[in-house]
Amino acid sequence: MKRYDLMVVGAGPSGLSAAIEAAKRGLKVAVFDENAKPGGQLFKQIHKFFGSKEHKAKIRGINIGKALLREADEAGVEVFLNATVTGMFLEKEITVRQEDGMHHYKGDSIIVATGAAENMVPFEGWTLPGVIGAGAAQTMMNLYGIKPGDRILMLGSGNVGLVVSFQLLQAGCEIAAIVDAAPKVGGYGVHASKVARCGVPFYLGHTITKAEGTDKVTGVTIHAVDDHFNPVAGSEKHFDVDTICIAVGLSPMSQLLKMGGCAMEDNPKRGGQVPLIDDNGETSVEGIFAVGDVAGIEEASSAMIEGRMAGVCAAQYLGYCDAADKKAALEKLEEDLSSLREGMFAPQNKGKAITETDEGIPISESLLTRGYLDDKEVVAYPGFTHQMGVHPVIECTQNIPCNPCQDACPKHCIRIGKTITALPAVDSDATCVGCGMCVASCSGQAIFLVDESAEPDKAAITMPYEFLPLPEKGDMGMALSRSGEALCPAKVVLVKTSKAFDHTALLTMTVPAEMADRARFFRPDEKQKEVQ
Amino acid sequence: MKRIRNHPILGEPEKGPKVTFTFDGKPMEGYQGEPIAMALKAAGVMIHRYTAKRHEPRGIFCAIGRCTDCVMVVNGVPNIRTCVTPLEEGMEVRTQDGVTALEVKA
Repeated sequence: MKRYDLMVVGAGPSGLSAAIEAAKRGLKVAVFDENAKPGGQLFKQIHKFFGSKEHKAKIRGINIGKALLREADEAGVEVFLNATVTGMFLEKEITVRQEDGMHHYKGDSIIVATGAAENMVPFEGWTLPGVIGAGAAQTMMNLYGIKPGDRILMLGSGNVGLVVSFQLLQAGCEIAAIVDAAPKVGGYGVHASKVARCGVPFYLGHTITKAEGTDKVTGVTIHAVDDHFNPVAGSEKHFDVDTICIAVGLSPMSQLLKMGGCAMEDNPKRGGQVPLIDDNGETSVEGIFAVGDVAGIEEASSAMIEGRMAGVCAAQYLGYCDAADKKAALEKLEEDLSSLREGMFAPQNKGKAITETDEGIPISESLLTRGYLDDKEVVAYPGFTHQMGVHPVIECTQNIPCNPCQDACPKHCIRIGKTITALPAVDSDATCVGCGMCVASCSGQAIFLVDESAEPDKAAITMPYEFLPLPEKGDMGMALSRSGEALCPAKVVLVKTSKAFDHTALLTMTVPAEMADRARFFRPDEKQKEVQ
Repeated sequence: MKRIRNHPILGEPEKGPKVTFTFDGKPMEGYQGEPIAMALKAAGVMIHRYTAKRHEPRGIFCAIGRCTDCVMVVNGVPNIRTCVTPLEEGMEVRTQDGVTALEVKA
């Protein structure tokens, strides 16, 4: 039997972070993961993360993953892959299934970071090939370069459903609709908006009643649901699709903790069966910690901080650092964590109906029920201004913990202030130089540069563009509205790419001046598309 | 075309060398090291197995080795999770019927 100071179960964002902090303090650390590669789900996250600099905001998940692996390597963390932890026993002993058989390991402390599993929802035909989890779609397209389908219906409008829908569009798939039984979009409004403006319709208050097909999915039927989530007769709609993607939440994979004797609770706010933990992730069993999604469903940014906190605590528990070092490290981490847990989507606000922003502006109903801001509503927000010359228009309308735009502008046109969840405001006195750094830095793709009189009777709109083929200067196409409706012909006048934009191209199109406040996306003419 | 040739964020997918394997006796191509299920998906194969009792088709569902819906008979061994098993040159992959290989009429 091998011994370690600390054994970490799971090499995802939280597990690796925990291992790094402990190893840096001198602990002999082993991380076990059942997968062939470390990093958990980070390497499937190709979008830019929210938060502030401390949370690695505006960096794509894949790059956060790469940095974390480097850090773990430098800290001397030993990672066992293809190693499934099958049991956790008294006295911090675990059994691990590895390629050559079962092995016993014993630790002086354990950090469980097993993550979560996808929830599923059964409906007629749900076992047909072609019905997949949203995670499966991410795995196929972002890890292995395989399109999950040609035409897809997404069930679930939480952040996973919205983010994966956008990624499917990026992979060249078509999204027939996003369907959710809830009456309102569950995820961030900015995630919904960037999908909606591509023309994807939202069906809130609807559910799948049947996956059609005999050998594989050929279509899907949805129904509106009543207040008790029962299908309403006569409300059915049909879509021809070859794939149905399910994104209806996650459940903690906490079985090991239960087996190890940790006190558990059933907590719907945390996603199901979770261990009772203190502020630093320690369970009811001294020296056993739980971090990341297994301790309550959140997201990777907070999971990484939780991991680091538990890593520090494990080090102090075993005498590898003193109480003062622990206190100093935890203070900083707690500050980072609490700023991530603020705003409308914070854990404490789960299930609450929020009707206005911290600034006292009514929350857009259109955004919550149709996925996009109504043209009339958007003017109420502090990021929306009319100015002479080029200027940013920020369509960020919910209080979420994110502020890279404020740091991105070299001319200080954008103000969020100390409160990370405040809505960004455009300062009309500052002079925008049209560099586009704010457009590229916005993880929600909610910033546009607008020049209302770029040419006589024409406005120029600059938008973030993350699709291929990348249009070229001179290309003609359609300007689309926030809802993805074709508005008017548009001409591409500039396409900027830069290493600093990290694969977000900035596309500038000209449209008739009266469309300046409405045109928010560009669809190339079909002819140009065929060249792909 | 099921393979993404160029991705706006990820660029061209990294691939191992091309290998040949068989699916129910038919030769197919894939890339070494990618999960068997991905090579099948790229070739348009949707059905991985039929259930034992009701003979219902199953395919990829979770793609991360948890659900076991995608298991097949690989090199004569049943219940191989094709979504997490790397493809190798010359592999014999068969549709699973219950717990044995499906008999395919030539």
